Amino acid sequence: MSLKVTITDYGVGNLYSIRRSLEMCGAQVEVITDMSKLADAECIVFPGVGAFNKSMERLLPYRDMIRERISSGVPTLGICIGMQIMFEGSDEGTSPGLGIYDGRVEKLPCRMVPHMGWNQVDSDDPLMDGVTDRNFYFVHSYYGNPVDTSVTVGTTEYEGVTFPSFFRRHNAYGTQFHPEKSSVSGRRVLENFISFAEDLA
Amino acid sequence: MLTKRIIPCLDVKDGKVVKGINFKGLRDVGYPPELATEYELQGADEITFLDISASLEARQTMLNIVSETAGKLFVPLTVGGGIRKVQDMRDALNAGADKVSVNSAAVSNPDIISECAESFGRQCVVVAIDGKRVGDHWEVFTHGGTKSAGIDAVEWAQRAEDLGAGEILLTSMDADGVKTGYDIPFTEAVADAVSIPVIASGGCGSKEHIYDVFAQTGASAALAASIFHYNECTVGEVKEYLRDRGVNVR
Repeated sequence: MSLKVTITDYGVGNLYSIRRSLEMCGAQVEVITDMSKLADAECIVFPGVGAFNKSMERLLPYRDMIRERISSGVPTLGICIGMQIMFEGSDEGTSPGLGIYDGRVEKLPCRMVPHMGWNQVDSDDPLMDGVTDRNFYFVHSYYGNPVDTSVTVGTTEYEGVTFPSFFRRHNAYGTQFHPEKSSVSGRRVLENFISFAEDLA
Repeated sequence: MLTKRIIPCLDVKDGKVVKGINFKGLRDVGYPPELATEYELQGADEITFLDISASLEARQTMLNIVSETAGKLFVPLTVGGGIRKVQDMRDALNAGADKVSVNSAAVSNPDIISECAESFGRQCVVVAIDGKRVGDHWEVFTHGGTKSAGIDAVEWAQRAEDLGAGEILLTSMDADGVKTGYDIPFTEAVADAVSIPVIASGGCGSKEHIYDVFAQTGASAALAASIFHYNECTVGEVKEYLRDRGVNVR
């Protein structure tokens, strides 16, 4: 039985690439709009489309349940905005986040924003095992700034600013970059995540 | 450090890539999803499809092509050409495009930029500007470079940024099709005037031209068509050339 991954659909943007990428890694994929179904999820992916408030809208009524599920060990991956909503809140919106990571999401202090394109992720995390080219695709204007810096497992430099771009707290991973848009390197990270999730499950 | 992007552009008409394509092992008539994935393998950082069809039927064909490509391509895909309304942009994004470029419609109705940015996020809104030198400045041209809009191209780029554009796709009508290199002064003028990424387009005939535009302007990306389609060089060869000269590429 292959791992079943649940992708949350916030109702904005397309989920083709993330869905297809996870399927190519051998996972079964379900996309849900009814977030109460997260109560039974084996593995959760918060995809990287949309803005902060909009992405939290459908999740907010189930915030406590989702926090409980993730703290009980359900392997989770948040991508871009899907990672940002795992913080307590964001300068981009007024909604509370899920609060998996302590700290807030802040505006990038850079001249050219959005930070758009391929940039390097400096990380020794096991999810980077076998990734030879450390360039990943980014498109964002905000970044996660954790209180407990030990959740930062990777960083990226842009216009002389080094910001956290890769997070892990136990079973809960978050990437500022888009593995599903990062060609071979991104595929490898997702494969590693699926293996990690299967080991936990 | 952020790398400079290389973006092959495919002109698509009635579901097929026009302009000669001669990759070995692929069909004689270029099939966009196959070509897009071939370019990803070569190291393309993004792919752009430009729909040059005129008919409504062809628009649906294009959306089908975008969907098929989105299921195979794992780098960002931009779709442009014939985007007139917010709904056109929504259709392209729903079909699987990551970004959508808007050109003439934004000139005649600038509010489309802010409406799209609010609805979908500014990162997916690319404003395409076709400019031509007139006297001591550059003017915006629309409808494939045939009609002057009577506005200054640098000012228009700044306005597009203020309205919510996430990126500028800048094509020099003077350089386009001539293959003597990108329009350096024009690209530099626009890249200096805005703080969103500028994609240089028009005039690329060699890898040296791509080096020149990165060495001499603040362009974030270079778009090219024929040098890749005619197999004059691969994306990988361009990148090796750039890397050897100190340009940071993936």
